[in-house]
Amino acid sequence: MAAGEKITLTDALQNVDVLDELPLPDRQPCIEALNKSIHYQANFDTNFEDRNAYVFGVAKYIEQATIHADMNKLLEEGKEYAVMLFTWRCCSRALPQVKSNDQPNRTQIYQKIVEVLEPQVSKLVRFMHFQNRAISRFSEEVKRLCHKEKRNDFVSEAYLLTLGKFMNMFAELDELKNMKSSVRNDYAAYRRAAQFLRVLSDPVALQESQTLSINMATQNKIRDTLKEAMLQIPGYEELLADIVCLCLSMYETRMYLEPEEKYMLVKVMAFGLNLMDSTTSNIYKMDAKKRINISKIDKILKTLEIVPLYGDMQIAPYHYIKCSPNFDGSKWPLCERNEPSPQSNLLANLEAIREDHMEYISQLSRHSNEAITTMRDQPRSDIENKELFDLALKGLQLLSAWTQQVMELYSWKLLNPTDPHQNPDCPKDAEEYERATRYNYSSDEKFALIEVIAMIKGLQLLMARMESVFMDAIRRHIYQELQDFVQLFLRDPLRKAIKKKSDVIKGIIMAVRDTCVDWLRGVEPHDDPALRGKKDPDDGFFIKVPRRNVGPSSTQLYMVRTMLESLTAEKSGGKKTLRKDIDFSHLQTIDNFHKTSFFWNYLINFNETLFNCCDLSQLWYREFYLELTMGKRIQFPIEMSMPWVLTDHILETKEPSMMEYILYPLDLYNDSAHYALTKFCQQFLYDEVEAEVNLCFDQFVYKLSDQVFAYYKHLSGSIMLDKRFRSECASHGAKINYPTANRYQTLLKQRHVSILGRSIDLNRLIGQRINAALQKALDVAIARFEAGDITGIVELEGLLECNRLTHKLLSEYLTLNDYDAMLREANHNVSAPYGRITLHVFWELNYDFLPNYCYNAATNRFVKHDKLTFVTDAKREKAPNPSPHYIWGTKTLTTAYSTIYSLYTRFVGTPHFHSIVRLLGYQGIAVVIEELLKTIEGFLKGTTLEYVKMLMKVLPPTCKLLRFDYGSPGVLAYYNANLVDLIQYPDLRMEVFQSFREIGNAILFTVLLEQAMTQEEVCDLKHAAPFQNIIPKPHIPIKEGDNRKDKEAELKLFMKQLEKKYAALQVVSVIKKLGNQTQADIAAEGDLLTRERLCCGLSMFEIVLTRMKSFLTDALWHGEPPTNGVINIDKCTEFHRLWSAIQFVFCMPMRENEYTIEELFGEGLNWAGCSIIMLLGQQRRFEALDFCYHILKVNRVDMKDENVKGIQLKKMVDRIRKFQILNNQIFSVLNKYMKTTDAESMPVEHVRCFPPPIHQSLATTI
Amino acid sequence: MAAQHQPQHAAQRPIQQDWANREYVEVITCSIKKISDFLNSFDMSCRSRLATLNEKLTELERRVEYIEARITKGETLS
Repeated sequence: MAAGEKITLTDALQNVDVLDELPLPDRQPCIEALNKSIHYQANFDTNFEDRNAYVFGVAKYIEQATIHADMNKLLEEGKEYAVMLFTWRCCSRALPQVKSNDQPNRTQIYQKIVEVLEPQVSKLVRFMHFQNRAISRFSEEVKRLCHKEKRNDFVSEAYLLTLGKFMNMFAELDELKNMKSSVRNDYAAYRRAAQFLRVLSDPVALQESQTLSINMATQNKIRDTLKEAMLQIPGYEELLADIVCLCLSMYETRMYLEPEEKYMLVKVMAFGLNLMDSTTSNIYKMDAKKRINISKIDKILKTLEIVPLYGDMQIAPYHYIKCSPNFDGSKWPLCERNEPSPQSNLLANLEAIREDHMEYISQLSRHSNEAITTMRDQPRSDIENKELFDLALKGLQLLSAWTQQVMELYSWKLLNPTDPHQNPDCPKDAEEYERATRYNYSSDEKFALIEVIAMIKGLQLLMARMESVFMDAIRRHIYQELQDFVQLFLRDPLRKAIKKKSDVIKGIIMAVRDTCVDWLRGVEPHDDPALRGKKDPDDGFFIKVPRRNVGPSSTQLYMVRTMLESLTAEKSGGKKTLRKDIDFSHLQTIDNFHKTSFFWNYLINFNETLFNCCDLSQLWYREFYLELTMGKRIQFPIEMSMPWVLTDHILETKEPSMMEYILYPLDLYNDSAHYALTKFCQQFLYDEVEAEVNLCFDQFVYKLSDQVFAYYKHLSGSIMLDKRFRSECASHGAKINYPTANRYQTLLKQRHVSILGRSIDLNRLIGQRINAALQKALDVAIARFEAGDITGIVELEGLLECNRLTHKLLSEYLTLNDYDAMLREANHNVSAPYGRITLHVFWELNYDFLPNYCYNAATNRFVKHDKLTFVTDAKREKAPNPSPHYIWGTKTLTTAYSTIYSLYTRFVGTPHFHSIVRLLGYQGIAVVIEELLKTIEGFLKGTTLEYVKMLMKVLPPTCKLLRFDYGSPGVLAYYNANLVDLIQYPDLRMEVFQSFREIGNAILFTVLLEQAMTQEEVCDLKHAAPFQNIIPKPHIPIKEGDNRKDKEAELKLFMKQLEKKYAALQVVSVIKKLGNQTQADIAAEGDLLTRERLCCGLSMFEIVLTRMKSFLTDALWHGEPPTNGVINIDKCTEFHRLWSAIQFVFCMPMRENEYTIEELFGEGLNWAGCSIIMLLGQQRRFEALDFCYHILKVNRVDMKDENVKGIQLKKMVDRIRKFQILNNQIFSVLNKYMKTTDAESMPVEHVRCFPPPIHQSLATTI
Repeated sequence: MAAQHQPQHAAQRPIQQDWANREYVEVITCSIKKISDFLNSFDMSCRSRLATLNEKLTELERRVEYIEARITKGETLS
């Protein structure tokens, strides 16, 4: 829109209306209090500035309006002084003190003190003047009203109430002045300094200072002065009695709306009685004369034993009664009783409050739904308006009532602090404030407070949202009521007054009418018969009352109400009241109008009233208690602060039904901060609130996210736990609980929480912390693995799975980092090629698994020998000991899972290999295998080679295969004798076997790992198959007589159908159709990779064997080339000969109490030997020439059993047979893997054919 | 919005006029209220949407960071 372009009002209004149609989605559940960035509040209260406009009104009341206006100004000023006193913080305590009289800089110090305190003291002087002014003004008013001539004059309710407000102000200021010793201290410090410097030299100032110090020092100065002034006025007690009676009747008929007003009424009653009771007048006599009603007041003062006086200062109103001169306890039976006041019992009212809340909310939602969903063509009818008006009023009353409940409980608790006796949790040295807040509420009371606060804040929000609808209805309703009243109803009384010629009544009614009438089109109906005292014509006198969307102005309303009140008042200036001249029915209607219109002002200022009714700011303020600590405390810690006490209570108890309320107690800080800025106008208070909020909110987020994480971890731990295990535990009496469902979701959806005007993304904050927690949990899982041996891999996998589930559950609400990325980070695997898991697996393989584990093919497991270890336990890092929610969720779950996984700790087998394959992945496995190969190389080129060298030396140079004729015992004895050096070689049974076992274990590890990997791959392929158009062929049986071709055609057709059916699943074709070229290419490549992974038949083990073969380069392994050019038969230079000798050693039966070789080293030993033999190509030679096999063969024939040099032949042969079978198995496995290479490396052409050997004798003969 | 006819009391005119004026003021107040309500819900809605956007950006940022870490150092892979 160009600048300066004019738009019409209608256009502007239309533009505003259009705003409603813009969709403004906000997808977060509303669980926080009303917080607006812009708070718009229109205030049309003129404080009677426009009184002169109502020229038709009775002059007296216009005059009174002037007085009201003046008094209101004084009241405002009084409020400012109350704020000054309440928020006064001691300055003098912070000032340096002059310690001795001859201190050189004392003049300077004093000068500074005067300079600093001067502005403060001048405030005090102004305050003193104000006291005098206010008291004299009040006395003047009282004097005027108590004047003999005017004693019986009508005094309006508003007037009396303003006087009551004055009394309330005096009571407040007096108590504040009494309480604030810091004010006195500051003034004393100033005075000392001023006297020293002789600042106050002129007599007037000196006098003033004197008066001020007396004023400051005297307790109850204001009350006493006021009372003195009152006593000067004859009959003042009558007026005060009127005020007290008015307060009583307003209290009883609930003619108040805001909580403050209720307390004011109570305070005024008590304070008024105190003022009335004196040497000249006695309230008990007045009670006897029924002038006042003490028993009713007694009841009220008991129900409200303690009322908030100001901030955290509370007062027991009955205290005023007690210190009145003619106090008579017997007249106050209820107050004198010792039982606690009902205000201390919130729990008793809770159910009723809930019901009210429920009922009101449902009523409200009906209207709000209607307002939101429907567009109106025409304004609401009068009835609808009234309904909404009533609804608004009822809502405000409910809100106010609940706020009162909260404030009354809080007040009562403040003045009735707990002690270690009543509350065992309360420490003996607890501070006063702590005893009043932190320890003073039971868990139920805290929950009740939270709930009521939540209801207040929740309903406030709902009502504020409806404000426009309410306001429209309220204004229209009030207008209608008022205009109907003056234009229609008043005609009757007017007619009667004219008829009866009672001019006073006619005057007043006309005044009422003219003050506020708004005729249709501004024209009074012509010739109204009522104005002539005549009856209406038979067909009625019709007046159409207009409808407008506007209420009366505040002054207008005051005038109308006061004038109507004067009509119906008991008292009037004349001898008789006007009541007698008015019809009873008219009187009733007027009374009724007067009563209902009392609330109009509140409703016209709906927004302001709504906020006043829900103001809980004072729950935070503690100036009074800070004052009590005498400077020991600058501020109380958050643990004693009510908002945090309530918030923390939810967090600590984790009560699911309260969890969604958690932001409401935090909102109390908003209230307090708002109050500090707008009412107290004190920056330092705001700063303190802000500091506390900063602290609390951090705590809140910290505790909450910790809790949320623990909750979801617990949940996923519970989900993953084996069901049968759980039920088994339950049958043994150990219950493993699921977490109690909690409503964290709602909290997690909060993206803009308003606190102190800042908008906080709670979701993000919690997300950040949970990310960190999850990261830590992963780290803990890996660290736990690192602290144990390789068997821990199974538990590690489970733990990571549990974390993955937690991650999945939480990702529904929070944006977390990618799980795999997190795992990689925890695994230190982001930029390094191998992670912590891989490293630890390898470390464990090297330092524990290879040297200590024994393989057994029967169980396909490795086990550790119980008693004998060859390598002392590797030193591992200590396992971390974090709280249970970083592990399995809870202590019980951690125990349960530890029990389950303890089953996997005593062996290494299939489950472990599967876990290793899944956790390490191709890259990790490659690293591990590569490193294992290095280890093997180390052995084959180092230790083992050395041993082989040594052993070769002790091996006899030749060792024959003895002829059968020697018999098996002979053969055994022969080998035993020949190999004696080797048998007795000291390191053989330990070091040499150990080194072979390590090689063997490494080989076995690769075999088993590959097996596991293959299974995993097959699983993958099967999972992928449906998406790759791999459909299993359906079975179509071919019976006899069936045509094979037909059947095949049928099958083809069937397959085509199936392909068509599952076409939508095929990734490649779908992506080709829907995606772009790049995507299609990627999909095709991925598909190819998956398909062909196994097709080329790559085998890891084969590669390992080939690599191993390349390590066997040393000539020692191969031995000398045969001299006969064909084969070494008796010479012991080749490795297989050595192995035969070794085999001979371990085939020797053990003596008693000796461990067998299998027990000690497992089958790794045999695997190592066989593999080396096989790789050296000596398998056949070994099988043919082996010493043990020879013994076996011979023994098979002669079947002898003898003890040859301590060796039991039979046992030996049995062992040989066992190992032969094992060796054959090993060779067949190895050959299976090596077959392909065999075929390639040994093409047929290379085979040399030797003629069969010819015996020497024959050769020569030829 | 002014009264169209001369009322009987000339002095009553200002009051009559006042009703009309105040109604006019109410219309304006009402509209300002509506605007402020709109701005408040606009604010809330924006905050909500910005929070979502922020979250998405943060996520992307973190992902880029991660990928960067993966690929730059990955070159040293032997």
